[in-house]
Amino acid sequence: MSTSVPPSHARHLGPLAIPSGVQLQEYTLAGVILVLVAVGAALKPDTFPTADNLRAVVTQASVVGVLAIGMTFVIATAGIDLSVGSVVAAAGVAGGLLVDNGSLAFILGAIGFGLLLGLVNATSIAYGRVIPFIATLAMFAIARGLALQMSGKSPISLLGSDGVRWFGTGKILTVPVSVVVFLAITIGGWILLNRTRYGRHVVAVGGNREAARIAGVPVRRIIFSVYCMTGLLAGVAAVLLCGRLASASPVSGQLLELDAIGATVIGGTSLSGGKATIVGTFLGVMVFAVIFNLLTQLNLATEWQQIVKGVIILAAVLIQRPGRD
Amino acid sequence: MDDTPILQVSGLVKDYPGVRALGGVDFDVLPGEVHCIVGPNGAGKSTLIKCIAGVIQPTSGEIRIDGELVSADPSAALAQGVATIYQERDLVEDLSVSQNIFLGHELRRWGLLDRARMRRATTELLRRVNHEGISPDILVRDLRPAGQQIVSIARALSQHVRLLIMDEPSAILDDTEIETMFDVMRRLAADGVGVVYISHRLDEIRRIGDRVTVLTEGATVASGLPASTPADELVRLMVGQELSDLVPDRAVGGGELLLEVKGITRLPDVKNVSFELRAGEVLGIAGLVGAGRSELLRAVYGVDDRDAGEVLVDGNRLPPNRPDRAIAAGLGLAPEDRKSQALLLGWSLTKNVTLADIGRFQRIVLRVRAERAAAEEQLRALQTKPDDSERPAQELSGGNQQKVVLARWLLRRSRILLLDEPTRGVDVSAKAELYRIITELAAQGFGVVVVSSEIEELCGLCTRILVMREGELVADLEGSQATELDVLRHAMPSTQEMVATSTPPTGGRGPTDGEET
Repeated sequence: MSTSVPPSHARHLGPLAIPSGVQLQEYTLAGVILVLVAVGAALKPDTFPTADNLRAVVTQASVVGVLAIGMTFVIATAGIDLSVGSVVAAAGVAGGLLVDNGSLAFILGAIGFGLLLGLVNATSIAYGRVIPFIATLAMFAIARGLALQMSGKSPISLLGSDGVRWFGTGKILTVPVSVVVFLAITIGGWILLNRTRYGRHVVAVGGNREAARIAGVPVRRIIFSVYCMTGLLAGVAAVLLCGRLASASPVSGQLLELDAIGATVIGGTSLSGGKATIVGTFLGVMVFAVIFNLLTQLNLATEWQQIVKGVIILAAVLIQRPGRD
Repeated sequence: MDDTPILQVSGLVKDYPGVRALGGVDFDVLPGEVHCIVGPNGAGKSTLIKCIAGVIQPTSGEIRIDGELVSADPSAALAQGVATIYQERDLVEDLSVSQNIFLGHELRRWGLLDRARMRRATTELLRRVNHEGISPDILVRDLRPAGQQIVSIARALSQHVRLLIMDEPSAILDDTEIETMFDVMRRLAADGVGVVYISHRLDEIRRIGDRVTVLTEGATVASGLPASTPADELVRLMVGQELSDLVPDRAVGGGELLLEVKGITRLPDVKNVSFELRAGEVLGIAGLVGAGRSELLRAVYGVDDRDAGEVLVDGNRLPPNRPDRAIAAGLGLAPEDRKSQALLLGWSLTKNVTLADIGRFQRIVLRVRAERAAAEEQLRALQTKPDDSERPAQELSGGNQQKVVLARWLLRRSRILLLDEPTRGVDVSAKAELYRIITELAAQGFGVVVVSSEIEELCGLCTRILVMREGELVADLEGSQATELDVLRHAMPSTQEMVATSTPPTGGRGPTDGEET
């Protein structure tokens, strides 16, 4: 065989060429955040660019952020989990029922119940072959019903549990605890997705399920695991949320699933699977949080915040749309 | 017909840093001629047409249009009447046909677009290519690929055209669409336009071409042959050897028993099939479409469930429906459809190669550098091009994609390779490479099962050939003895009686001819 390189190779510009789609989207989002912060600093120089306010922004973001990391794994497999908002409420209530036994009981109860509901999703999707949209839509209703039923439709006060409230108001070296949890889960999620066999398998299942199976990827186990993960992380999010509100409310967590999906999608993770980015999801969460904070400071009503959020999601998805095919 | 060539290319050389893309190209195109250029992937066809179109500057050599030297300037080339239709369609899908045709040289009146005149001119151009049925106002998006190709040609004709260059236009068209396009080309040639037609489909040359030039590794190995030159001769020029020489020495087999398949059944496709595979053996599975060959491989491997039967590797039974267990036992499947069943097209070559063995690189976290190095080692051993393992799999040619799949199983140290149509959609020289790789693997002690619809390929390559018919195994032939005809007679349902009675007619084309006894 000749050793000469074919001329087609000459067209390739090497790693210096334009960054790939995922990276480009991440740069764009980082730019959007910088612009938003600059706008905020210009419009509200006294209240927006302060350490306290920026800390509040990240704290606000942490609940959605934890959910969005799990959602990134689910969406990477070309799935969806519509139930996380309801599961947050149900997990909080389940923890609340146990809070008299101490804050550890609350935490284990919340996370355990979240995981249990995730397990139900996972079983019906991976082994019952229910499509994710329907299975988690059912759980969306079931979990909310369970939360209302178990709590007798009224919030459970957690004012007596300092341990739980620490997750909402406490600080570790000036950093709010919920932010520490959010960042830890983000970093852990990044490593899991990008630097482990498991993460590689998750993206392979979403990218080409048949090819993954033929290459020996345990497809069902992978799909099972990602819904367990979103359930478990919904339990973690419940701990953070209940800690901040000092109560476990059966009507909390509404529309959180949409925020988590929205943040994941504007981050660049493809709804059709096979392409996922934790950095993008993190930035997507932060974009939402900064906008929310800015609009609140500008005294814009929440209905406007909803509209802005929707427009951003739509714009992001439209930008991501592949040019052809 | 005027004998002054429209296009004269002589001694054309194009060097890139470290790479000689073209190393001496000579050919000419006469008025009214369709001149085909063939060559394997990477032969330099695209570089050549870019030089002619003035897009890139040749290092040395001459290009003359109507006797005049061409400078490396696309608009000057256009002014001299060179129009190029590239493989990637370069139309604006959201503009109308007439807007596309006059894109960049719109007709104007009082400074405003003269849409009526452009529409009329468009109709006139479409009539010239025999497609006045296409409305000038329809969006290009709404046309079929062939229709879009026609619009590209019409656009080329909207300016003064002496030479039309078409770069593998048939790659995206179906048979009737190709015929439509050929009609247009013939009409243009009849008007005295010279056409350069690039293709790697040898069967097209005789249908459309007047003469043919063969390009290999950047140089013309034969220039201006008559289009009636036999395909075998062209293949020989392209790969430098006869088709029958493509297949190296046949694998002899005879090693230890690797795989035993006993009575495997998956209704309605596979019925009670048993066979053995030994180390060092290339076992062919022949049969007509629908005979159950792919289904057999998939059931053995465990991608599809089976109704009965067992699969033993080294004497150990494989559970059904468990590709992961089959892989652990040493099997590897290269499925029929590389794009939808084997590869993650958007992933890098590295990730595609390591997918089946990614755990090997995980300590606590993945060691991505070790992963990449290991993947590159396998890709290099198979001479995969390009050798940049970070490029996405979708950019590779069919043959190289197949090598990526093979690299995956070599990295995994699989010993039993199940290859389903490994050379489908692969050009001739890449086929030769795959044959060589398969034979070498067998010589190293791999057991290889090859399913193929090309019977001559199996006859040239295999130690033994199993023939399937309607889900059943009907023959087990010695590879060195089997002819295409033998195999076909077993494979065809209606010729069952003939097998017993008739004597084989002489002949049978392909690599079996004159091979070892």
